[in-house]
Amino acid sequence: MTSSIVFDHLSFSYQNTTAPALQDISGEMTRGSFTMVMGHSGAGKSTLCCAINGLVPRFLRGDYAGRVMVEGMEAAKNSVPDMARVVGIVLQDFEAQLFSTNVELEMAFGLENQCLPRTDMEERINIYSQMVGLKELLRRDTATLSGGQKQRLAIGSVLAMETPVLVMDEPTTDIDPEGRRHILSLIRRLRTRERTLVVTDLDAEAAVQADQIWLLKDGQLLAKGPPVEILTDSSLIESCGIRPLATVALFQAMNWPGQPLTVEAAAAEIENRRLLCPRRPECRTISVLAPGKVILETRNLSYRYPAGAINALNEIDLTIHEGDFVAMLGQNGSGKTTLAKHFNGLLKPTAGNMLVRGRPVNNYRRHELAREVGYIFQNPDHQIFAPTVREEVAFGPRILGMDRKALERNIAEALDATGLSGFEDKNPFLLNRGERQRVAVASILAVKPAVIILDEPTTGLDYVHQRDTMEMLKRLNQLGHTIIVITHAMWIAEAYAKRSILMKEGRILLDGPTSMVFSDEAMLAAASLAPSDLIRLRNRLGLAAMTLTDMVKELKSEAVPPGSF
Amino acid sequence: MNLTFYNDEATWLHRLDPRTKIGGVLLIFVICLCFNHPLFITVILTGVLAIFTTAKSIKVLWKLRFLLVLLFVFSVVLWPFFIKGKTILFQWHGLEVSSESLLYGFAMGLRLMTFVSAGLLLLATTKNEEITNGLIRLGIPYPVAFALATAIRLAPTFADAGTTIVQAQVSRGLDLDSKNIFGRFKRFAPLAIPIFISAMRYTNFLAMALESKGFQPDAPRTSYYEPQITGRDWLVLGFLTLTLAACLYMRLSLHWGIIISGRL
Repeated sequence: MTSSIVFDHLSFSYQNTTAPALQDISGEMTRGSFTMVMGHSGAGKSTLCCAINGLVPRFLRGDYAGRVMVEGMEAAKNSVPDMARVVGIVLQDFEAQLFSTNVELEMAFGLENQCLPRTDMEERINIYSQMVGLKELLRRDTATLSGGQKQRLAIGSVLAMETPVLVMDEPTTDIDPEGRRHILSLIRRLRTRERTLVVTDLDAEAAVQADQIWLLKDGQLLAKGPPVEILTDSSLIESCGIRPLATVALFQAMNWPGQPLTVEAAAAEIENRRLLCPRRPECRTISVLAPGKVILETRNLSYRYPAGAINALNEIDLTIHEGDFVAMLGQNGSGKTTLAKHFNGLLKPTAGNMLVRGRPVNNYRRHELAREVGYIFQNPDHQIFAPTVREEVAFGPRILGMDRKALERNIAEALDATGLSGFEDKNPFLLNRGERQRVAVASILAVKPAVIILDEPTTGLDYVHQRDTMEMLKRLNQLGHTIIVITHAMWIAEAYAKRSILMKEGRILLDGPTSMVFSDEAMLAAASLAPSDLIRLRNRLGLAAMTLTDMVKELKSEAVPPGSF
Repeated sequence: MNLTFYNDEATWLHRLDPRTKIGGVLLIFVICLCFNHPLFITVILTGVLAIFTTAKSIKVLWKLRFLLVLLFVFSVVLWPFFIKGKTILFQWHGLEVSSESLLYGFAMGLRLMTFVSAGLLLLATTKNEEITNGLIRLGIPYPVAFALATAIRLAPTFADAGTTIVQAQVSRGLDLDSKNIFGRFKRFAPLAIPIFISAMRYTNFLAMALESKGFQPDAPRTSYYEPQITGRDWLVLGFLTLTLAACLYMRLSLHWGIIISGRL
């Protein structure tokens, strides 16, 4: 096997930073192989990707030592456009890299740079738009594509360049489950071609099909090996900030033999070895919600964007109660965010009513509403502006005219709840993404709104930070705040939300206790969603529990003891 | 506000070579400068609107209706104070407004509207890539053409980011409607800083993405859309050139279309 990419003692630290981003990375990826690079956020995954096509150190500068050879070219010694002949890279922020007016021009851009004649371009665009499933959309404006389609276009436009090496930095982040499934299946199909594939991902479920997994931690290559070796070591991958495979974790917790990597393998294993008596799913007891006072209510609410041809929301009737912990689920464009923006009056219904504590939002002054409903946007960088964390967090309460004493107390409480005590005088722009996200949450918390809405609070965070964020929300919920989370991450809804609302095409498809909603896989599929592996296994086994610990408890009470088969 | 102006249709105007359209818009600009009588400029504006209709793109113009009305109103209100005319309509503390100056204000307002509309006609019917391509073929250096096209391309992106940022800060209680002038600056920072930073991040990221796809500003590259000058292009350019000649004749020899002589 010839090697395609060779890392030779590569070390790199970014300008003006002390901690190295990569330390002494050595290893090789053979031609045609598929390597999954995993690790916590800040582990150096993106830096590693950028080192393959020379963006590190040619564009992102810093101290560089060692070398990277890609198809016989030394990355640091060639310009990025020259490296583009052998390396195609899909960068992390897929929205920002789409640049052209329509789909076919986007796919043509790289080919134009390669000076391909028009007929060849047409042929390539034909082949690769077919492969990424955008054949019918060649003339579409890229801005009108869904998230998953945009990501596939970003991939397709790089694929069309037919480089021997293809690098994708977190191609499934920030995409709804259906879009994610499309991309994973695309990666699976790409495996059969003679291309070296390097993909980073935060999720172990995506890594099952790789040839090799490289595990990064704090810039160091901690381990590498085939999935069966790496993914079965739950404690190792958890120490790298990755959520362990549900199937492996369950089998280990139950002390069952075997280490299945997929739900199908796990179910087969359980059946073959008769690890469980057959159970009937109907028997499981499903929790019921205990609603408090109504705080948000929509009556027959419809909304159409000013330039829109169809309603973004259709006759929504919904009540949210004090103390609820709600997950709003659905594909991109299903109306989740549009609906949530009505809750704090950012959007006004085209028809119907939006009531907060029984009073129409129109009757509220802006600052009154801000005290009732806080809204945290997906990207913390869309709101951070102050030179210190304290001033950033103080902005909301100060503008609402809170007196000095209450202000100080609220800031301290907000920082404490978000784990940012001690960060008061730090510059928020120098914090990492997870910390900036928490600053954004703290800045809303300091106002003490009764309801807190979070739009994709876990995007760009690794498992550990996701869990921390959600645990924090759980504490806030216990303190009496109503929490509404818009998310694509199914496990977050499963493990934390008491109630889930399923949306599709501007309507509510299903609304009920999370354990009930996630039992209905057909309905989830209708909304283009699918439960996580853990819950799929739970549904197959007919359990009621929603978390691994609870599942183990439930199973322990009735499992056949190991050794009896 | 959505600042994407391209309107994907397949009309005769969309099919014209971008060079023709760029040249054509410049010709319309000059034609506009021939007269300062509102009636004559109204005729030109009507012509531009007629072209919009045949290009099925009136809705693009509709997006900018507020800007157009604003330009017009400002012209009509301000010009009369700066121009002197013979027929005085009213005087007040040395300020005087004459019917000529009023008409001139009307003319200038209509001229601005025609300028904006003609420019928009180009943007509504020509893809960004075609504009770049056209500029290059007209001899504009690649980096300049690319920068121009990029600026057009990024306007809607930054406008979107701006909308999100406004919403994020309004959610925190920022009151943009309050009348307090002293609070202006305080309200400015929470919006300007995130917009500036996101623009910086975005452009930096875009540069990385472009280079990663092998883009070099000074290297030769081919083009997927290769517009061709056809008979129709010559027809359009010929027609506009003749119109310009006719207008010059009317203004210079017949002295038509003049409200105040000695001014454009």
